[in-house]
Amino acid sequence: MISYEIEFHAPTELGEALSLLADRGDETTVLGGGMSLMPMMNLGIVKPEVVLSLNHLPELEYVREDQDRVYIGATVRHAQVLRDEAIRKWCPALSEAAAVVGDVQVRNRGTIGGSIAHADPAADYLPVLYAYGAEIKLQGKQGERLVPADEFFIDVMLTTRARSELVTEVQIPKQPPDARAAYRRLARVEGSFAIVNAAAVVPAGFEGARVAIGGVGSHPITIDCAQFLRDQPPEEALRAIDGAVVEASAGATADLHADSEYRRAMAGVLARRAVGGALVELGR
Amino acid sequence: MATSELLQERRHVGKRYTGLTNRELVAGKGTFVSDIQLPGMAYMAVLRSPHAHARIISIDSSGAEALSGVLYVMTGREAQEHMKPIPEAWNTREIGAKGVDWYALAPERVRYVGEAVAAVVADDKFTAYQALDLIEVEYEVLPAVVDPEDAMEPTSFLVEPEWKDNILVTRDFHRGDVERALAEAEHVASGMVRSERITGVSLEPRGSVAQYDSFRDELVLWESTQNPHPLRTFLAETLEIPETRIRVIQPNVGGAFGLKQPPFQEQPLIAYLARKLRRPIKWIEERDENFQSTGHSRDVKFYYTVAFEGDGTITAIDIKVIADVGAPTALLGWGMAFVTAYSLPTVYKIPNNRIHLFVVVTNKCPWNAYRGFGKDSASFLMDRVIDKVAHETGLDRSVVRLKNFIQPDEFPYPQSSGAVLDSGNYPAALKRVLELVDYEGFPKLQAQARREGRYLGLGIGQELTPEGCAMPGAVMISAYDGATVRVAPSGDVTVLTGVTSPGCGNETAMAQIAAEFLGCEIGRIRVIQGDTETCPYGLGNYSSRATMYGGSAVQIAATDLREKLLRVAARMLEVDPGDLDAGDGHVSVRGAPDRFVAFDQVVNQIYRHTFGEFAEGEEPGLEATRYFRMGNIYHQPEKQGRFSNYPAWPNGTAACVVEVDPETGQVKILRYCLVDDAGTIVNPLLAVANLHGGITQGIGSAVYEQLAYDSDGQLKTATLMDYTIPTAVELPLFEIEHQETPSPFTPLGTKGIGESGVGAALGALCSAVENAFPELELRLDELPLTPSRVWRAIQDARAAGDVR
Repeated sequence: MISYEIEFHAPTELGEALSLLADRGDETTVLGGGMSLMPMMNLGIVKPEVVLSLNHLPELEYVREDQDRVYIGATVRHAQVLRDEAIRKWCPALSEAAAVVGDVQVRNRGTIGGSIAHADPAADYLPVLYAYGAEIKLQGKQGERLVPADEFFIDVMLTTRARSELVTEVQIPKQPPDARAAYRRLARVEGSFAIVNAAAVVPAGFEGARVAIGGVGSHPITIDCAQFLRDQPPEEALRAIDGAVVEASAGATADLHADSEYRRAMAGVLARRAVGGALVELGR
Repeated sequence: MATSELLQERRHVGKRYTGLTNRELVAGKGTFVSDIQLPGMAYMAVLRSPHAHARIISIDSSGAEALSGVLYVMTGREAQEHMKPIPEAWNTREIGAKGVDWYALAPERVRYVGEAVAAVVADDKFTAYQALDLIEVEYEVLPAVVDPEDAMEPTSFLVEPEWKDNILVTRDFHRGDVERALAEAEHVASGMVRSERITGVSLEPRGSVAQYDSFRDELVLWESTQNPHPLRTFLAETLEIPETRIRVIQPNVGGAFGLKQPPFQEQPLIAYLARKLRRPIKWIEERDENFQSTGHSRDVKFYYTVAFEGDGTITAIDIKVIADVGAPTALLGWGMAFVTAYSLPTVYKIPNNRIHLFVVVTNKCPWNAYRGFGKDSASFLMDRVIDKVAHETGLDRSVVRLKNFIQPDEFPYPQSSGAVLDSGNYPAALKRVLELVDYEGFPKLQAQARREGRYLGLGIGQELTPEGCAMPGAVMISAYDGATVRVAPSGDVTVLTGVTSPGCGNETAMAQIAAEFLGCEIGRIRVIQGDTETCPYGLGNYSSRATMYGGSAVQIAATDLREKLLRVAARMLEVDPGDLDAGDGHVSVRGAPDRFVAFDQVVNQIYRHTFGEFAEGEEPGLEATRYFRMGNIYHQPEKQGRFSNYPAWPNGTAACVVEVDPETGQVKILRYCLVDDAGTIVNPLLAVANLHGGITQGIGSAVYEQLAYDSDGQLKTATLMDYTIPTAVELPLFEIEHQETPSPFTPLGTKGIGESGVGAALGALCSAVENAFPELELRLDELPLTPSRVWRAIQDARAAGDVR
């Protein structure tokens, strides 16, 4: 129950939104699809005084591509991410992740920009963005900057976004045509947050193969898989990747659903399964 | 007798009618408490304790009172001065347990997170919640008792300073010589079994609308409750006003599962405020309030030692039951611990047994009734014990069960607790479910799956679900109920019952029974429930009693009217009443179906030709109110030699197949079969629908659900994000069959099915997961079977195996 008055802004042009953030960014909370913010407000976990809704900004609702990248506007909803042809073709692991975010209602309402800016360590997109080497576009009234995903996320629900800036776009570099990707998650029931999740991108020649694992810490960890995949049979390579991930996940987060030791072990299993999934796609 | 003849040619009982309320509910046209809007209606919000245990030093409500739109702020002192303590639902003190004075608001001390401390009434919901934030309560935080075994230590802090310990009650049931039997036994095994603290999650939380009419001097409470009449009795006592000045109406209820049984703090609170402020008031519970204060269940730990012979015969069992019932209140939940002990050793014949129960209070949310009512925990323990014996002897799990079952010809069977099991055929249900699941073929399937790297396991679970509870001295809990059957001059029929429906369809069963015994068409019947002003006094729904007791009352009331109808029809047809049959709107001569009169014609004679030749000598009117009184209740131990408060003993056997992911510990249920025996089934379609819910809640508690507290007594799972419940996606299609062993004590042989399906799931799933790893010494004696728990058990068992 939200039991106080809120100053609510729903601009129809990006410029207006950026002006508000430039003037009053410190006191303003940005509302995307509201799938995280609204429950937090209802539970009284956050009590923003000023809310800026992006739900009437058609400018940010696009998916475009050029030769090198796919560009996804911040207010594109998960349901669009999972269906969009360009995304399915060039970043299928992102579609796979979008397909399992929350439930149908959440996917119809929640946005990719909102999920990224919220920076919940269990979010389905995070390891996918790491694995693809995505960049996040931040726009302020004074200008814009592109931040690589692995620099964007700092801690639990903390990013490099200044309060005067808006996440306006996600850019995903196109992978070599022979690369394959996969996304895997471990969750208690359909619709619940992932305990651990993993995304892998594996080019046919293994050069640049990598897996990113979410849920073990405040942001995903990335493991270079090329070294393991190059000189040994897939089964041994996968075992080695599992081991490397477990090694790298020391001190994994503990909560009600999974203690640290379990999370760490699952990080290894899910990384192995994500890479394995990509290898199957490659026909290995 | 007419009844038995009718049973041979049932027209309505036993048929698959779809629910009478389906259309309105599916169309979203039901009326729930939150749909009720009254002119000038204000809103109530409740301030709850953020501490597990604290003394209230002071409350400053001036800030809240100053807020525009706030009508009133009430604190515990006013509740203590102007209202009586809330009456106990389970009659705690009369049966030798300790009790407390529980007020509508806590006056001095709070004993769990979520206990009500203050209430605000405002013009609207928004203002009411705004005002809550402005109430300043100064607390002196006291040490919280969170672990039940710590609570049992003599050095523990006390939940109730007036008590000398944290034990609400103990019970000690004996049979034979356990110590000797254990000492002389061929084999002895022991273990610990624990079921986790859980709760039922109804789609609709609790809620009330209260209105006081000063002209009629009548207080009306619309409440999402299971028991309108007892609630009225409780309110009259708490508010000290005549019971007849209160009307309780139950609108549509969006799930209850036992948890909407009164008396709660908010009920007298809103009623008091509506009278005081002369304004209608609404209160709808928020989900976090629901998790904190509506009531919890399970949280039971067992220590057992069992003695057995090489052939699987169990000769003795010694069981210690420790139940953490949370803080003591007026709610009936702690009674579940009693029922757990009382139900043991369930369906088994064990010549020497001892069941030692400790009901322990802590600074957690009090227990409230939840589907299963402690019988689930008893069934779970025995499943774990039987599987242990099977494991130790190397015998098949089904063989050990068959060896120790009470046999069909041994009923009525008395257990050491005083319980008298009425009837049953446990071996037949087990054998049938093993056929359904293809028990014999499973090892081959399992081996084949293992070659593909898949880990399949099959588990068996056995439940015993005593129903129809009656507690001496408890107004809400008894083994009777009433019904009125009223035929209008048109021939349309109203059935009014003292039992209620929480949304599971017993009104449809009532209509079937009324049509069966009255002889009219089912479409002529309207069923009215849940209104103290129109329905006969009755106790509502719980303990799977609605169809068993309410349906029996409908049957005897309808039979009264039928006899009158047949006498009049006999004169019309110039035959003996004994030669007549009534059904589907006709009264006809047996063996000569073309000689008949219509049901409506007979009714017409009674109403419009009261002084004509056919109704001559008959008492006018076509209405009967009758009460059904259950047999097999023993409340006079001095005279009857025992105390037994459950008369009907439904049971069932489940067999399920799971696939376990050994790398993650995730359990996927592939098949779930249940052979259920709840006596005579009135409506197989709705009975199965009920079982779907029961099995789902059983699976939920076995695999997913867990209410967690931290060491300060803070509830960590107060949202549906943290409290994991399964949905249809996680569940297989259930394969259900009925076996009908009638109750000897109800006219139709019904036993109650409302809680069936829950208990067998717990043991069946543990058994199945263990069975997926025949090569490991895997024991899963604690719930829920979360992926991390299963994974760890596999790791540990593998490590132990390596050591060996």
